[in-house]
Amino acid sequence: MNYLLIGTIILFAGGVFALFTKENFKGIIFLVFTALAQVFILPVTTNILITGNQIQTQLFLSEPIGNSFLRLDPLAAVFVLIISIGSLLAAIYSTGYMKMYYGNRSALSSYYFFLGLMSASMMLVVIVQNAILFMIAWEVMSISSFFLVSFENNIVEVRKASIYYMIAMQIGAAFLITAFAWVSSSSGSLDFNSFHIVLNNSNTISVLLTVLFFIGFGTKAGFVPMHTWLPKAHPAAPTGVSALMSGVMIKTGIYGILRIVLISGSTNAKLAYFVLAVSLITGVTGIANAISQKDLKKLLAYSSIENIGIIGIGIGTGMLGLAYNNNTIAFLGFFGAILHVLNHFTFKSALFYGSGVVYSQTHTRNIDKLGGLIKHLPATSFLFLISSLAISGLPLLSGFISELLIYLGLINCFSVKDLSINISAVLGISGLAFIGAMALLSFTKVYGIAFLGSPRSKLHNQPNEKDSSLLIPMVFLVVIVFIVGLFPYLAFILLGNAVKQFLPASSFSDLAQIQVNMKLLSNYLLIFGVLIIFFYLIRSLLLKKKKVESFKTWDCGYQQSSSRLQYSSSSYAQPFLSLVSEFVPQKINVEKEPVLFPKEASLESHSQDFFERFLIQPNLKFLKKSLNLFSWIQSGKMQQYIIYGLIFLVFLLIWILGVS
Amino acid sequence: MRYIPFILIIISPFLFTGLINKVKAIWAGRKGASVLQPYYDFFKLVRKGEVISKTTSFVFQISSSINIAATIFALMIIPIPFAGSIISLPGDFVLFSYALGLSKFMMILAALDTGSSFEGMGASREATFSTIVETAFFIIMGSLALLTNQISFNAIFSVLNMSAGYTVLVKILLVVSLFIMLLSEGSRLPVDDPNTHLELTMIHEVMILDYSGPDLAFILYATSLKMVIISMLIANLLIPSFLTLAEALPLFAFILFLVFMVVGFVESLIARLRISHVPQFIFLMTALSLTAFAVIAFFLRGGF
Repeated sequence: MNYLLIGTIILFAGGVFALFTKENFKGIIFLVFTALAQVFILPVTTNILITGNQIQTQLFLSEPIGNSFLRLDPLAAVFVLIISIGSLLAAIYSTGYMKMYYGNRSALSSYYFFLGLMSASMMLVVIVQNAILFMIAWEVMSISSFFLVSFENNIVEVRKASIYYMIAMQIGAAFLITAFAWVSSSSGSLDFNSFHIVLNNSNTISVLLTVLFFIGFGTKAGFVPMHTWLPKAHPAAPTGVSALMSGVMIKTGIYGILRIVLISGSTNAKLAYFVLAVSLITGVTGIANAISQKDLKKLLAYSSIENIGIIGIGIGTGMLGLAYNNNTIAFLGFFGAILHVLNHFTFKSALFYGSGVVYSQTHTRNIDKLGGLIKHLPATSFLFLISSLAISGLPLLSGFISELLIYLGLINCFSVKDLSINISAVLGISGLAFIGAMALLSFTKVYGIAFLGSPRSKLHNQPNEKDSSLLIPMVFLVVIVFIVGLFPYLAFILLGNAVKQFLPASSFSDLAQIQVNMKLLSNYLLIFGVLIIFFYLIRSLLLKKKKVESFKTWDCGYQQSSSRLQYSSSSYAQPFLSLVSEFVPQKINVEKEPVLFPKEASLESHSQDFFERFLIQPNLKFLKKSLNLFSWIQSGKMQQYIIYGLIFLVFLLIWILGVS
Repeated sequence: MRYIPFILIIISPFLFTGLINKVKAIWAGRKGASVLQPYYDFFKLVRKGEVISKTTSFVFQISSSINIAATIFALMIIPIPFAGSIISLPGDFVLFSYALGLSKFMMILAALDTGSSFEGMGASREATFSTIVETAFFIIMGSLALLTNQISFNAIFSVLNMSAGYTVLVKILLVVSLFIMLLSEGSRLPVDDPNTHLELTMIHEVMILDYSGPDLAFILYATSLKMVIISMLIANLLIPSFLTLAEALPLFAFILFLVFMVVGFVESLIARLRISHVPQFIFLMTALSLTAFAVIAFFLRGGF
């Protein structure tokens, strides 16, 4: 445990030391500290994960926090692993990426300081098990990430986005504070373990409390309808931070939900259905909106919402398994969810890092302006392709494994003789399939439009990928994507103990079959891989002595072809969006002269977030209106404020006299 | 012994495409090409060189191999009565669907790789329609899992017996649903017309405009095999589990032929749908499979 604390402190210290160094060395110093922290953190974490033990230390703090425990159990260890490695990769990436901002020393200082603070606070969030300490760490995490999001605060949109983010986080925190205050006053202790007696009831209060926790943590994770901050904050932040936020930070929300499920030992079927329903809506909403985006990072942010939905479906399935006393379902659901946390960290971070390379070379995030990048950025393109395939859940790569596990959990629900669980299972699997097919659509769009084809606009500089620090994190992550994708039983060894925490010990013997099946699956996947290589070799053999000509793309006889005739991202997405136009509303402005053959015309299309438009914005308007009624309090007149002070003093006087 | 049916299936796909063309020719009052014509085309293509667009990258060149490998891998998951399947695993239909998804992903990318507006259009439509097909396919599999209490193709079809009572209705619904899937995935009428590829209503055919030589041969083979695979699923649904080996295997082969005859009839009788009506046609698949699920749930779980 001490090693872990030392590691956390080193993470923070890296940021502090980076304050006092020269511009060019800030990144290196921060990287050295972060790498050093790994030495302390990783051995103890992997040990916990593989053995399934747990360790704890007690901190003797004064009131009101009181004595509090730091615990590292396998569940927390999964997240510690992700946070720790995620911070290291962000540090490596930042050494190269932040070169763009050389010349702005104070901005760079604050960047590294808050990056260190954010990494350290995320570590604390997952190991602290005292309500007040947890909320402190949670808020530090939110605030430090707020400063990172607002890094480029000279841009109006960034300022707006970061304030939106801050408000969303505070609303989430308000739910959490309420829930924690309620639960700890009922249980009489601030320690997480004591919450069990309060939450493990089927009465209305414990259900309500769990829902409160779910909303609070769900805001951080990005569950619909609390997701609207993600597509604003992710594009605003520098890429290293977006990757860290999307790959790691939103997972602390998932951690919170899993922790609450674990503490309560949830056996309430209604809650399971609630989580499942919200997650399905989240997944579908997220990816349907991703399809309509043109901004690369916004699209990735929406895809994060989708993946949070998939993780949530896994958690919901696991909870269903617990509620119906079916350990196989529970294991598969939680295993799928936790593995997807790890997987989403790997491929989503890789995708964000890839988008950062694209942005740093082309200075645009609009994929309609890109095209043909594969010629200039071959390595990035290859890594981005693998990550896109993985995030679409396609076999041979890691995304498939976790989605398969969730599918399996849901499919096992058909054997339970209960109509409602059967119906939710069919909704679950068809929903997952729908999400998967939409993910295929959105990632073929990103990749096909931005990386393939020919360039859609002239770039000032030829894009290049000379800076290896931008590629190393991606290479590392893609290797993991392959390993998990081809040898899923390794994931079983690493994460199995974390999943087993959710189940009664008596059930562990039933789970051996799952491991056997995963080995079998691994063999089959290898057969698949061999088949692909086999046919590619045949193709090469067939073409060996043949004439292979290089010619322009077949243009059906039209000789005036230009790259602007290519399909754009909006035209690619249009057939699908026209099917779902009710749920992904589009705003289309056409301007043209009202004559028969207009010389000039323009068309602009914007997609809108269904929940933001119909739920968030009307409520915000209502809030603004109702709060305006109180605006006379803030009149700006000095005299009035002095009166407030006087009134306050009078009340204070009465209070003191009254009490004494 | 076990692998003989699979080897037969692997060499047969073009026979079935030839059959469709023959049926169409006879229906139109022509003599038509030999049933073996697609084989001649295949071997002609294999012997040829290629023209590859300058715009393309390695994605274009690996996609055809991934396409054919994924389709053969998918075939290995589908059981044949008494022979079973080569690969079987709990939830293997997820693997089946996602392996085909991988090939779809790569083919779409290959189309976009050429930078051609035609192929982009085809790719976009392919991706759109597959969102409906995938969803419906999983409802079908969910219905079967609920009905049989099994979770792999092999196990489901080895106990499946839909020859009495309400299951007959389920059988009809699912067979029609799978048939729609066959038409849409195999790019046949009324969804897509495999005979023309330069019109704005095309889907699959327009995506492979730039392929030639062995690559095109691979793709044509994979498309035909994909149709055979889906018709194998239909055959598995129709054959009850109590038949003996001597009854089941000939019936299996007969159903495959029958399915392709019907495809030929459909192609002769129906015109291609307007592209804006295609989603509605494919949505029929969702509606039918959901109805099948509702029927099973109603009878198995005792009312709502």
